[in-house]
Amino acid sequence: MARMKFYCDAERCIECNACVTACKNEHEIPVGVNRRRVVTIKDGEPGERSLSVACMHCSDAPCAAVCPVDCFEITGEGIVLHNKDTCIGCAYCFYACPFGAPQFPTDGAFSSRGKMDKCTFCAGGPEEEDMSSAEYNKYGTNRIAEGKLPICAEMCATKALLGGDANVVSDIYRERVINRGAAAFSQTRLQQKANFQPNPSLEGRATGAQQWKP
Amino acid sequence: MRILWLSIFLLFSLSSMSYAEDKATPNSAGASKAASGDLWNAVRARQGSDLGTIRSQVKGIDSNSFMNVEGDKWRAFRMEQLIPLAAKVLGFSLLGILLFRLIRGKIKIKSGRTTKRIKRFTTFQRWVHWITAILFVALAISGVVLMFGRFIIIPYIGPEIGGPLTLFMKRIHDISGPAFAVSLIVLTFTFIKGNFPHWRDIIWVVKGGGLLGGHAPAGRYNAGEKGWYWIAVFVGIAVVASGLALDFSSLLQYTPFGETRDSITYAHWIHSIAAVGIMAGAMGHIYMGTIAMEGAFEVMQTGYCDANWAKEHHDIWYDEMAEQGKIIEAEDIGKPSA
Repeated sequence: MARMKFYCDAERCIECNACVTACKNEHEIPVGVNRRRVVTIKDGEPGERSLSVACMHCSDAPCAAVCPVDCFEITGEGIVLHNKDTCIGCAYCFYACPFGAPQFPTDGAFSSRGKMDKCTFCAGGPEEEDMSSAEYNKYGTNRIAEGKLPICAEMCATKALLGGDANVVSDIYRERVINRGAAAFSQTRLQQKANFQPNPSLEGRATGAQQWKP
Repeated sequence: MRILWLSIFLLFSLSSMSYAEDKATPNSAGASKAASGDLWNAVRARQGSDLGTIRSQVKGIDSNSFMNVEGDKWRAFRMEQLIPLAAKVLGFSLLGILLFRLIRGKIKIKSGRTTKRIKRFTTFQRWVHWITAILFVALAISGVVLMFGRFIIIPYIGPEIGGPLTLFMKRIHDISGPAFAVSLIVLTFTFIKGNFPHWRDIIWVVKGGGLLGGHAPAGRYNAGEKGWYWIAVFVGIAVVASGLALDFSSLLQYTPFGETRDSITYAHWIHSIAAVGIMAGAMGHIYMGTIAMEGAFEVMQTGYCDANWAKEHHDIWYDEMAEQGKIIEAEDIGKPSA
């Protein structure tokens, strides 16, 4: 079974925030909740890079570990879903999550925290019938049940944000890295000398070619 | 030759690195100058990584950080330290009380009851005590459900009922908290008289408070009661302050701490540790005040104590009261002259 993953290519992300907008529009997310965000480091300086961050659907999800009511469910595809009927809005998942993915709409008389909302990998909720209106109201669209991938990755203009089967995502990224490396090698001789200094002692050797003995 | 130098460098750098530092320091052994290496060090907020100006168009708590490594520490604290340790502390407190009951039994008034009474607490003091006590028990039960519910309740009743039940407990906790803050402040001032330390308390502690027999002299309050008062005040202040920070976390932005994930997490550290401590203390206090000792519960119930009870447990205070002629007959209670 496919293991679902997001990957954001920092060499391609241009901080257009289209993934953020698409996500909000697709799921009709309440104001103040950001299931996805784009963060830029070294903004306006050389080496500026942007990445789109949302729930990373961890294998050993910290949110699921600390939840006091055990409302999380990790699907067979590795998608971390949470049950909004069980959720109490305590924000423990927000404390534990390294990515700041869990979000809380304000709710109730004293504008206290409502039930947690986060990226569902466009897979709706764990308990409702797939593609029902109840599920849509609580979690947004269930594109996975329709056989589609997450909207943010699907519409990314530079294809920086990849989402889907982890094997395919890593194949795409690996190919990109190889192509970038090949581009670096095919520069002028002067640039090659400046950038790349081959180590002559490694000539003709490769891992596994000979047994290393201590 | 270069390999030799590299291996010596690796040897030194690795031996000086512990596991914890390994996570936090940039991968110096790799010494990668590639932009992607720097990027991922920065993304993981490793020490020494240059993040430059970091911005996000999405505004929210900590929306400017990719990864917060503190989150993992908090997870380890809650799951591996707080919950097992709290279970042990509370369990052993209960076990200790049970053992004490088995060894010591009920503490009786040795010379029997009299018809004479001494006024020990005013009506206002009793109201303050009971309001604080009821709020405390509500907070303790709801807090215990929030902490242990996943392990001791939800496996049996399922998350469908357990979730709303815990939400109800959380609402009780959120609303009782600020009320408890007010009542704790009033309680602090209401009971402060007579609770300051005295040289007599040292003797009382040395004699073990007469808990296992023998007699230890005491004034209006003995050292155990005084200790509980100061624990309730100081630990209570820690619990209340951190609890208010958690309850009204949006107000943290007006404080020097700021409404960040770290400040909320630190508040939770203080709140949970202090709350477990005060709960263990409260268990002892509730036991001593209810079923442990003959004639103890009625004092907070009616405000009057039995004269023999006072003589046996608070002899110096009894002498003072006797001098002032404050010992009255039980049937005179409520009459204007009393």
